[in-house]
Amino acid sequence: MSGLALVQVLSSGIATGCVYGLVALSFVLIYKATGTVSFMQGELLMAGAFAVLALHLAAGWPLGWAAAGGIAGMSAFGAVLERTVLRRALGQAHLTALLLTFGLGMMLRGAVGSVPAATHSMHRLALPFAGERWRVGGLAIAAEHIVVIVATGVLALALTLFFRRTRAGMALRACSENPAAAALMGVSVAGMHTLAWALGAGLAAAAGLLLAPVTFVHPNMGLVALKAFPAAVLGGMTSLPGALAGGVFIGVVEALAGFALPEGVKDVVPYVLLMLALLLFPHGLAGGLRQR
Amino acid sequence: MKGAVMPASGVVRWTAGVIGLVVLGALALRSLGLEYMLAQAAFVFTYAIAGLGVVLVVGQCGQIPLGQGALLGLGAYAETLLALRGVPAPVSLPLAIALGATGGWLASLPARRLGGLYFAMSTLAFALIVEEALVRWESLTGGAAGLAVPALALGSWSADTAAAQAALSLVALALAGFACRRWVASRLGRAWRAVREDEDAAAASGIDIGRAKMLAFVLGGGLAGLGGALYAHWIGFVSPEQFGLTLSFELLMLVFIGGARRLAGALWGALVVIAIPQAISLASEVLPPDLAAAVGLETLLFGAVVVAVVVLRPQGLAGRGSRSSG
Repeated sequence: MSGLALVQVLSSGIATGCVYGLVALSFVLIYKATGTVSFMQGELLMAGAFAVLALHLAAGWPLGWAAAGGIAGMSAFGAVLERTVLRRALGQAHLTALLLTFGLGMMLRGAVGSVPAATHSMHRLALPFAGERWRVGGLAIAAEHIVVIVATGVLALALTLFFRRTRAGMALRACSENPAAAALMGVSVAGMHTLAWALGAGLAAAAGLLLAPVTFVHPNMGLVALKAFPAAVLGGMTSLPGALAGGVFIGVVEALAGFALPEGVKDVVPYVLLMLALLLFPHGLAGGLRQR
Repeated sequence: MKGAVMPASGVVRWTAGVIGLVVLGALALRSLGLEYMLAQAAFVFTYAIAGLGVVLVVGQCGQIPLGQGALLGLGAYAETLLALRGVPAPVSLPLAIALGATGGWLASLPARRLGGLYFAMSTLAFALIVEEALVRWESLTGGAAGLAVPALALGSWSADTAAAQAALSLVALALAGFACRRWVASRLGRAWRAVREDEDAAAASGIDIGRAKMLAFVLGGGLAGLGGALYAHWIGFVSPEQFGLTLSFELLMLVFIGGARRLAGALWGALVVIAIPQAISLASEVLPPDLAAAVGLETLLFGAVVVAVVVLRPQGLAGRGSRSSG
């Protein structure tokens, strides 16, 4: 393949992978902090995309404000869900949390699907620079891809600073490591659970926002979140940077498979990777390397 | 109730349940008609067979299968393809069961040393691969368009009436239930429960926990294969989307509602899971037409039922005091 085609495949793979990675990040964040296996990250992603779309197109907010408002709104929604419903799954078996979040996801999907304006026409978040190609050192890369990659980088940096530099971030980390010890140090464990869900929902919504210019916004767009599971497993299930890296890896491999292998193979590659990773590196790629 | 071997109170509950079922059945018979009821009964029994498999994995062994729908799909497609080529049911059904069991083994293989959540991930990945393969392998499976399934044939006789289908399903369910009771009461069943309660303690007691989990998935997969094969005949048409993630979650719901630890829970859960969509479609007739026509309404209501069950009865509808497992 030519160099130019390769660069385009790679850039689109990394951009898609960033979205997978962000969803995986939100899943791992919630799983680590609350022990809850969330099967509704895809629906939160979808709801986030629709929230921004509604604020931007229906309410007429400028794009930046709509994006911030949508993500903030979804964070608040995540916090409210935790306070009211999700708290019930705490300390219960994984099955309870799985069913609860799957049911909530169905409700979200059904609720959005019941709004005629959401289902009767295809939506796409139009960006001012859509379709343009930006030249980076002699290479032409689609503007959307660069925006997605840069935005993911900024988000990752902000999260790193949050977890390393702020009291709330460190409290959240402490709570994930050892809730009992954190509680003894005066951390409000229940509050941290709410914070984890708010962050998780906000991150999923951000992923939805980043996906919105690339694909159509529709009630079933949450299916992309299934690819976040291989990403989380490849990252070792409990590592935030690992989840993001796993997502990018999955995105790139998927893009390359779509380029080089017959049609349809691309869609199963992430899951084949997941099963292979479990078989060969049961503690995640990072964990497997650390052990060597 | 500890353990799965039925104590005396279980017999009382069974009797009460059967009487309740007969009364409910008589009421439904008056309003819906015999033919319809028998057809629904065939589906309830068929779901219960697959549900028994999930009870073994979830309730007995304490693992989470997220790909059971795809195992039903394997059984359904094996049975359909064999029946289309004129293979008689006594030969094709065991093959469908074997394919389901093989699928269960393959799906659980990668997570054997890890267990827990990794089984959920591994079986989910397997199910998504199977679904995609069923769509893409068009020359064999007919792709997304699906295949029409001939009636189940035993020699010159074929099960084309609702009564025959219900009777056959009941016989299959009884056989499956009998086999499950034997397994659950055996050394293997005790090993499963030991693994469920405490893996380290089980391993320290000399139980091969990897083998115990693997056998739960294999036997659960076999039951899923049988359920899928019968389901394909009763519904008369198979397509990949029928056996997706929704079916896997429906089966988990089924054992959650019925009580994951009891074999009888599979039947109660199947009854509820088959009844819910019907209740929803009845309810949407009452609603104003604008609202009822909304695409997402059924999804919304089904999700609401799931959430309500989990929030109101976190131990399952039938779980009296006993912690639901997973």
